[in-house]
Parts: sequence; C-alpha cells; structure tokens
Amino acid sequence: MTKHKNVIEVEGRVVECLRSAMFTVELENGHQVLAHISGKIRKNYIKIMLEDRVLVELPPYDLTRGRIVFRYRN
Amino acid sequence: MNTKPYTSGLGDNAVVITRVADRQWHALDDDLVVGRGHAEHRADGRLFVVIDAWHDVIFDRLAEAMTAALSAPLYTVVDEADVELTAGWRRAGFTIRRREWEYVVPTDPQVTGLEMVVPPSGVTIVSAGQADENLLRAVDRAIREEVEATVGWQSMAAEVIPRPEGDTIVDPTKYAVAAAPDRYLGLVRVVRVKRPRIGLVAVRADEQRRGIARALLADALGTLHRSACATAWAEVDESNRAATALFDGIGARPMSSNLELVR
Repeated sequence: MTKHKNVIEVEGRVVECLRSAMFTVELENGHQVLAHISGKIRKNYIKIMLEDRVLVELPPYDLTRGRIVFRYRN
Repeated sequence: MNTKPYTSGLGDNAVVITRVADRQWHALDDDLVVGRGHAEHRADGRLFVVIDAWHDVIFDRLAEAMTAALSAPLYTVVDEADVELTAGWRRAGFTIRRREWEYVVPTDPQVTGLEMVVPPSGVTIVSAGQADENLLRAVDRAIREEVEATVGWQSMAAEVIPRPEGDTIVDPTKYAVAAAPDRYLGLVRVVRVKRPRIGLVAVRADEQRRGIARALLADALGTLHRSACATAWAEVDESNRAATALFDGIGARPMSSNLELVR
C-alpha cells in the first residue's frame, strides 16, 4: 500500500466486470472494493479486463469503493 | 496558483478547489485530495478534460473551475454505461458529439462468412509481417491525407499512441495490406496484447467499395483464428455506415459504447 499526496493506493486484481462500467477488485489484503476507472484511463482507451492487475485509489472516507488508476502490463 | 474555497458538506472543513498546474486542478478537503481535474491536448490539437471525484458536488465544482479557465471547445470521453459520470458532464454543459461502439468480432470463418472471400481481381493480400515497409508507409500517409481532406481524424477512432512526428507506423509487422502490382491499396492493423484488437482498417478512397476491406479482415481474422484466438475487438464510429455494415455483416456484436462529449 502506498500513500502519495494523501491518496491511498493499493494493488489488486479484477475479479468481476460489472455493468455500469464498474469492476470488483480484490485487494492485496483480500478485501474487495467496487471500483470504476479513472478519467485518464478512460481518455486513453485503456481497457480493463478480468484478471488484470491494477492499482486502485481508495477514497479517504469510504474504503468499500475505489478508482482504478493504473493497469499493470502483466 | 488559484484557490477557491467552498463548503462541501463532506466534513467540518471547506473543500478548496486549487489550480495546481497549468492544466491540473485539485479539490482538497482538509489536505485530503478528494477530487482531481486534468486537461491535455491530443495529437489532433483538441483539448480533452478528465475529472475524478468521489462526490457529484466536487465533480461539479471542478468542472466549473476548469470550464471557466479553459478555452472552448473542450472534449471528454465517457463509457456510456457510466450514467453517473455522463450526467456530471451534462450538468457541466457538455453534449454528445459522437458515439463509438466497441464490437466483439468472431474470428471463425464459418461464423464470419469470410471463408470463401477472395480479394478483387488484381489485388493480393500480404499478411502481417510481410509487407514492404516503404509501400506500407506510403499507403498509410495517402489514406491519412485523404481522411484529413474530408471528414478528418476527429471522426475516426481515437488515436492516442504517441508517435514520432510525421510517422504513424510504429510497428510495421502489425499490418496486413492489400497490394496492387505498383502500390498498396489498403491496410489492416491488428495488435495482440491480451485481447486482439483491430486498430485500423482502411482503403484508399479510389479503391473503396470493391471488397478490399472485407478481404483484409478475412486475412486478419483468419490468422487470429489459426492461432486459437476466438474473438477480437474493434471500435466503430456509429456514423461510419460502411464500417458498421462491414462489422455487422461478419457477425460482430456491439458490446459497449463510448461517448465523446464536447462543450
């Protein structure tokens, strides 16, 4: 887990692709969050798929939600 | 650096919208970053904006600050299924400029009906990795100039990969081409990272409506099928009737859509 500029970022794995452009991501600690993709990922047409390893940013006041800010190549 | 405080209702402290760089904004709630906005020029010169915020009210404040500071037109891209985000941009005055469908394309020739497809007389298909690089670059340049002279790349699928100036062919081995004896007539680019993607199918304007694009697809999809890839995917602009008909005609299914919004 990293904390950069007061933002909590955690690595995880996409375990479910949901409707409404949402994903279930299992974090390193085993917790699952409901995540959407960040604007930069969307703008660059980066596709998120099942089993992708991703970096998820968590909001400071709700640790059940997340935002996918990076997709790892492998 | 410009700052603009307001009470968000998220906590006891006011959220502050701050322009932290020329094209970057932060929403800070007691030093926590609770929203971010960013603007960036694409290669075609258009300015695209994105906002990431955890609450609608913060989204709206960031959008207000950014649209006030940046010159129109501004563009953004949303997944049409993301109703919340789309609504946010609509509140900020953005409207739909175009819709791009994401198709899942079968590769099995018995499904696509491309099994017996052959190129028109005098045309041969050169499979990926075997094209002459100079002729490939020539046909790519010619087609792009034709597009620029007519509808423009703004109406084409997003091209966001950074490339050397004046060059659009990053990896020639990803292209199959339709060849006449003296020049290439069309090309198809297939990128195979995880899920194969048909990134571009294009034919010179004076060679269209001869079945060349269909023959190029037959070759590209056949190659994928032989390497055990059951499906590929492609983005098609809804207003591009020829492309839509081409993909609909081979059994491709639209699975999702992206909206390009403008203000």
